[in-house]
Amino acid sequence: MIELHNVSLAYQHDTPALNNVTLSIAKGEFALVTGVSGAGKSTLLKLIYAALRPTGGQVVVDGLNITGLPVSQIPRLRRKIGVVFQDFKLLPARTVLDNVALTLEVLGWGKHDINRKVYHILKQVGLEHKIKSTPLRLSGGEQQRVAMARALVNDPRIILADEPTGNLDEASKEKVLEILKEASIRGSTVVVATHDRRLMGDWCKRMIVLEKGAVVENANVA
Amino acid sequence: MSRDKKKKRPRLAREGFVGRLHYFTERALLNIRQNVLVNLITVGTISLAFLILSLFLLIYVNLERVTETWSERVQVTVYFDRELTSGEVASFSAKIRAVGGVSGIDYISRDEAMRRFAERLKGQEKLLQDVSPETLPSSLEIRLKRHMRESQAIGGFVARLKAVPGIGEVQYGEEWVERFSDFMAVVRFAGLLLGGFLVLAVVFIVANTIKLTIYSRKDELELMGLVGATRLFIKVPFLIEGILQGVVGAALALLFLLAAYALFLHNADFLLSFSQAAAGLVFLPPSQCALLLGGGALLGFLGSLTSLKRFITL
Repeated sequence: MIELHNVSLAYQHDTPALNNVTLSIAKGEFALVTGVSGAGKSTLLKLIYAALRPTGGQVVVDGLNITGLPVSQIPRLRRKIGVVFQDFKLLPARTVLDNVALTLEVLGWGKHDINRKVYHILKQVGLEHKIKSTPLRLSGGEQQRVAMARALVNDPRIILADEPTGNLDEASKEKVLEILKEASIRGSTVVVATHDRRLMGDWCKRMIVLEKGAVVENANVA
Repeated sequence: MSRDKKKKRPRLAREGFVGRLHYFTERALLNIRQNVLVNLITVGTISLAFLILSLFLLIYVNLERVTETWSERVQVTVYFDRELTSGEVASFSAKIRAVGGVSGIDYISRDEAMRRFAERLKGQEKLLQDVSPETLPSSLEIRLKRHMRESQAIGGFVARLKAVPGIGEVQYGEEWVERFSDFMAVVRFAGLLLGGFLVLAVVFIVANTIKLTIYSRKDELELMGLVGATRLFIKVPFLIEGILQGVVGAALALLFLLAAYALFLHNADFLLSFSQAAAGLVFLPPSQCALLLGGGALLGFLGSLTSLKRFITL
């Protein structure tokens, strides 16, 4: 589902953020990308959803080589990918419903279908009762679950989560990981970037360790 | 896996041009409602900028009107040392009209000239003791169309007039016309300069206000890109919003101006006391109001378009 072949990325006048990275993540796999801050975890995710372009090597996502993907084709790629961030990136002026609906509006869904689907996904993450609230009225954990609902609502083939539990307490962390695990079980490929190796649970079979932009460990965990 | 099964296609909200326009307009209006404060500040700033511009236009339009009244005093007089018969008046009038640029001709007989002279010397009747109508010339007073009232045009007209057989002495207050033409040139230059600066200032203010509005929502732009929105999908609601902000700002400015006009400017004789003909200010003609509204829409659109280019990375 995700393949990186000798991928490098160097910012100008700086040490490379990624250096000759080769890895492959299969369809439906749950992979944890870990490493200290600045190891290149976020850069790796950004390459997958084409927010950054590699300066060397090839990136293939869902059978499509996106290395030289025209800008006009990026939206098509991103509709297959749900992205979750540490800072949630919710729109504070919009309700939970509107925040989650955004993903479906982009696809051109009608209002009736959107409302039904959003309610359904919010129920899955346990927030259907907050549908009319605005994000500022929610706790950090709840906000992250809304962000996850937004990423999951169109059943994406790939879910990328960049430090999804970074700002959360233990109970919220558990819930967020549970949602990601369920998405993986339903068939989505899940890639979680985190500096916290303790997130590695028994359901996570793959760990990729980055150090100074290079893969130092790429193991299937039994 | 559920996603691999053939799914029932959801009903799309944006099918066809009308469907899309409806969706985008709805989205723009919703965005305005969700960002009321930012929009109020934007519209208020645009409105103030347009108020200054429209006030300048109002003054300029009225100044033009005053000078129009003044320029009506520009007339060419052809003198005759005898009384003309009605046949001669008609014949000369036809020949003069043939020169072109004439808006009207009046024959002033010797008796009429005497009556005017007497009126002018009211209170000093003693001066008229030895004056009889026979000592005064009769004349044809020629009023000119607006474009002929400038110094150069009038000079050419008089030269052509003098070539008409039977016409000898011609006067048109050369010095006054020249001064008036110079004054008009200054008024136009100053108007153009000041108007140009004001338009630039308005463009700058509107464009930057809209840029700030869009900057305050750059997270939204980024997020829409992340969930797979196309460039067009992101842009159109913002462009509609910009157009609405521009039009509403300009409309509010015109309403403020209209209110100020209705309250005190319409009978502001004191402002134009130097002109007897001006009984007060007139409001902007509909064409200029439409121009301001159109300008608001255009500035809103262009301001949004240029700002979006900077913030959409797609």
